[in-house]
Amino acid sequence: MSDQPAPHETPSATPSASPSPSPVHRSEGHTGGPPRRSEGHGGGGGQRREGGPGGPGGPGGGPGGPRRGGKRQYFRKKKVCRFCVEHVDFIDYKRVEMLQPFVQERGKILPRRMTGTCSRHQRWLGEAIKRARNIALLPFATEL
Amino acid sequence: MEANMEERVYDLIFICRPATPEDEVNKIVTTLEHSTSEHGGKIEKTERWGTRRLAYRVAKHREGFFVYMVVKSTQGDLIKELERRLKVSDAVIKYQTIRLDEELKRQQKLGKHRERRASRRPRKQAPGAPPAPQPPQQQVPATAAE
Repeated sequence: MSDQPAPHETPSATPSASPSPSPVHRSEGHTGGPPRRSEGHGGGGGQRREGGPGGPGGPGGGPGGPRRGGKRQYFRKKKVCRFCVEHVDFIDYKRVEMLQPFVQERGKILPRRMTGTCSRHQRWLGEAIKRARNIALLPFATEL
Repeated sequence: MEANMEERVYDLIFICRPATPEDEVNKIVTTLEHSTSEHGGKIEKTERWGTRRLAYRVAKHREGFFVYMVVKSTQGDLIKELERRLKVSDAVIKYQTIRLDEELKRQQKLGKHRERRASRRPRKQAPGAPPAPQPPQQQVPATAAE
């Protein structure tokens, strides 16, 4: 999801950008660029890669520049770990209704990037789901 | 070997065939209790969850009678014995024992840690919380200035 909008936005914004912000972009490209440029060069490729790190790095604060330049019109809602919010220290495998939202229809465990769970809780969650599966509380795969 | 092992907490779940009469489930539970006490263990609680739908077919059954127990023991042999008994009995179609004491310990530790942090929160949250809202506030004036 994050890759798609960034390349689209960068080419449209770079030509339209006023002369003053563009040096800012280039300097950022130099600082962040060197290892990336060794992979391949070319104006188009360079711009794309500039946009790539700018997208995820945007919330960090440093690359606030690209946002000022008119990119990033929308804000993705930041996902928060549901277990961290509720201060869960132990994920009980017996509470199926709690595990259910983190399992796909077919029984797969949902990845972190979908649910926003932090790595620690995802680890516990995976363990709990696997335990629940073993005792037939959750399916390994839905039968057809 | 027996004496120097710490007390461990286990979760024991077993599933009986849905057609099992109540008496037989009780019999299994009592035999488990008996062998637990023989090995110097303790059954903290026994819960009958009743007949539940299984997530997948087990021994050609789509439903099963769930029994949940919490066992405390200082001997690993006890679990072996309990599992052997469950394996032998015909009514039981599935069982699972999970050692939980380490996770419970971790839970307590984290809870204590949080309490300790909460007690001195007024100082710690003040610098911790504002940074999140501040950056957008700083950025917005910056764009306005330009």
